[in-house]
Amino acid sequence: MLFNSLIFVVFFVVVVGTYWTLQSWSARKNLLLAASYLFYGAWNPPFALLLFATTAVDFFLGGRIAAAATPATRKAWTTASVVTNLSMLGFFKYGNFLLLNFQWLLARVGVVYQPPHLDVFLPIGISFYTFHSLSYTLDVYRGVCAPTRSLRDFTLAVSFFPQLVAGPIVRAADFLPQLVTPPVLKPGQFAWGLLLMTLGLFQKTVLADTLLAGAADTVFGYGGPLATLDAWTGVLAFAGQIFFDFAGYSTCAIGAALCLGFHLKDNFRFPYAAIGFSDFWRRWHISLSTFLRDFLYIPLGGNRSGAIMAGVNLLIVMFIGGLWHGAAWTFVVWGLIHGAFLVIERMLRTVVGEAAWAKSTVVRVLSGLATYAIVCLAWVFFRAADFPSASRLVNAMVGALAKGDAILSTREILQVGIVTALLLLAHWRLRDTSIEATVARMPRWLLGATWTAMLCTILLNQGSGNAFIYFQF
Amino acid sequence: MPLSTSSFERTIPDRPWPRLALVAASLALLAAIAWEARVRTWGYAPTLNDTSDLWAEQRGRVQPDSYVIIGDSRPHFDLDLDELERGLGQRPIQLALDGSCAYPVLADLAADGNFHGTVICSIVPGMFFAPGGPLIANSEKALKRYHHWTPAQRASHQLAMFAEEHLAFLKAEELDLPSLLARLPISNRAAVHLGPALPPYFNVIDRERRARMWEQAALAGPLQTRIKEGWIPLFTPPPPPSYLPQDVFLKGMGAAVEKRFHDTAAAVQKLRARGGRVVFVRFPNSGELRKHEDRLTPRIGAWTRLLNETKAPGIYFSDHPELAAFDCPEWSHLSAPDSVEFTKRLVPYITRALSTPAGG
Repeated sequence: MLFNSLIFVVFFVVVVGTYWTLQSWSARKNLLLAASYLFYGAWNPPFALLLFATTAVDFFLGGRIAAAATPATRKAWTTASVVTNLSMLGFFKYGNFLLLNFQWLLARVGVVYQPPHLDVFLPIGISFYTFHSLSYTLDVYRGVCAPTRSLRDFTLAVSFFPQLVAGPIVRAADFLPQLVTPPVLKPGQFAWGLLLMTLGLFQKTVLADTLLAGAADTVFGYGGPLATLDAWTGVLAFAGQIFFDFAGYSTCAIGAALCLGFHLKDNFRFPYAAIGFSDFWRRWHISLSTFLRDFLYIPLGGNRSGAIMAGVNLLIVMFIGGLWHGAAWTFVVWGLIHGAFLVIERMLRTVVGEAAWAKSTVVRVLSGLATYAIVCLAWVFFRAADFPSASRLVNAMVGALAKGDAILSTREILQVGIVTALLLLAHWRLRDTSIEATVARMPRWLLGATWTAMLCTILLNQGSGNAFIYFQF
Repeated sequence: MPLSTSSFERTIPDRPWPRLALVAASLALLAAIAWEARVRTWGYAPTLNDTSDLWAEQRGRVQPDSYVIIGDSRPHFDLDLDELERGLGQRPIQLALDGSCAYPVLADLAADGNFHGTVICSIVPGMFFAPGGPLIANSEKALKRYHHWTPAQRASHQLAMFAEEHLAFLKAEELDLPSLLARLPISNRAAVHLGPALPPYFNVIDRERRARMWEQAALAGPLQTRIKEGWIPLFTPPPPPSYLPQDVFLKGMGAAVEKRFHDTAAAVQKLRARGGRVVFVRFPNSGELRKHEDRLTPRIGAWTRLLNETKAPGIYFSDHPELAAFDCPEWSHLSAPDSVEFTKRLVPYITRALSTPAGG
């Protein structure tokens, strides 16, 4: 079920209405669990079984990890959880990719092998719920989270519908405590949740789908050389589209959870105002970057074994991070570009240190714009269908082509230019604050007018119920 | 370990939320009512949007022995389901899609082992032999929706139809925000390669996907002129892309057309082997558009060869004076009243064509 669909409106009204009518906390949790499985099963009912299987395995293993008598046994049960989860993810998401690469490797040594094409349908949101579930066993292993004795509560923690298919990646350690006692709505919490849902839908349907997606699709789908202006417009459009699409989903999720009395952490903090790549990853898909930090970078040794190993670890983490997004080498290159710039940034920091000039406004703004430009360049590899397409686009962006085709209308260029300018302006204005603090300071009339305008444009937009980009990951 | 207490709570901004929510919802509702009233003064009335969901729903109604109409917008506008039912003894399913190539749908029906019914397939050569692009993509999008239609999409479709039948402003591709933005009078760069604009809205559709031309489009006036002006660019093949030598491009196009002949013959053969039947129909066109189409895709090169290679029967409107007697007011489709009369006259030809042995 999509947030931007009519059936979700009906679903949400019925679930929220029934939820707050029920007196028993246990009955409310049962309702949420049933609603979450209905929400997920409405895509493809059999895949709800897979979701439950993942959950049940980790519930069992979480208990075994906690009860293990020796560190070796704890490690063995944790390894079992990691292997089970990653095998499931590997089969559904990376099966064909692995076979194709195996075929390529064999061909290098002269062996002709024709692998069967696995006709596997990717379960929606598998990368997200695998990490939701896996975070539980890993946190039990780390001693951050106590094992729950309630399969119902754990199943709800993994499948809670607002965050189920596209994040934020909510850790069981953050969610299970919220299931202990019934939530009490703070004054204004419900309406604030609705406003966040409106904002999320506006970001997705109006900004991402209507104002930006067209230019991005046209440019990334073009088979020939592009004019520099068109190439940049398409890439800036995608940079905005993927932010509004994904941040829009997270904002909807946070808003929907608030309406039900739950609190989910931010997944984005104005990332296009980041100064440097480490700052970017503190602001973009925060739930993934902290997951990778806690469960991969730190266990690998983090920066405890010297600068070189820290750099290697960063590259490994970003390699995995790239691959998490999709089974293609273009995603890996995207991750490695980020990894490389994270390493370069660490090196620069040791050279520049705490120099006063580095903290001047001009340098900060220029560094921020440079970060944004490189992030955009990296998006080319994220979005392009293959390396030749990416290379063609990068060449057009840097003006390396003698002649390129103009394929975007002036209206599309203006749309992308205006939205991008406003996006950057908003991120820079808000980079050191929060949406809550900003709303608290807004004049009432402006807040009411903004909310009304978002509702009106969502209605006018109508929308075609496009899926969120991150569903495919 | 944190299992008994939550360590994180979001801040709720201190604002008069109930009043703000009420004001925003009320103003949005008032704006929607005002917009609805405004678009009705422009002549719009509630009608369904011809979405992939509506198509998938009809595709799902296909029975093994159904009569199925496939093709472009001409059979969509020009065929009346009541008349077809009266004449053929069975109500056909309308699967023709505006701005599409029929081949993917024909191939899909041929691949459906359960189907052994009758296919009435419209042929507009410039569309049927399109090697790719939006014409193919439109058909493939609809097929994809049918084959991967989720329960959530089905439910949303039912709700959307209810809303569209009551609200005129929900006319997508005409009154939605993307369409309104696309109509902004902003001139383009001189050298830009843009596809031709699609014609403005000019039909109403019911739940069976029966399309009827809007009365205003059937009358001489600005709307009809706008529609007419759109056809010639739309029916003109795009120039070769700048990055391909012309001979390479033309060779590729030629190969794609040859392949389409071959694949169509194979699909027809496959259907026929199961007891299915296919009849090709060339629907009326008029005015400058007819001259343009005849010049670009002469009958002998496309229509005649298609019938020869598929050995399927065909009905070419201009071969029969009673079918050729209609004038398409906007050059490409019949008006709603004419579509009923045209269908009545077409039925005997369909019956006769289907009773002809293959290749006869």
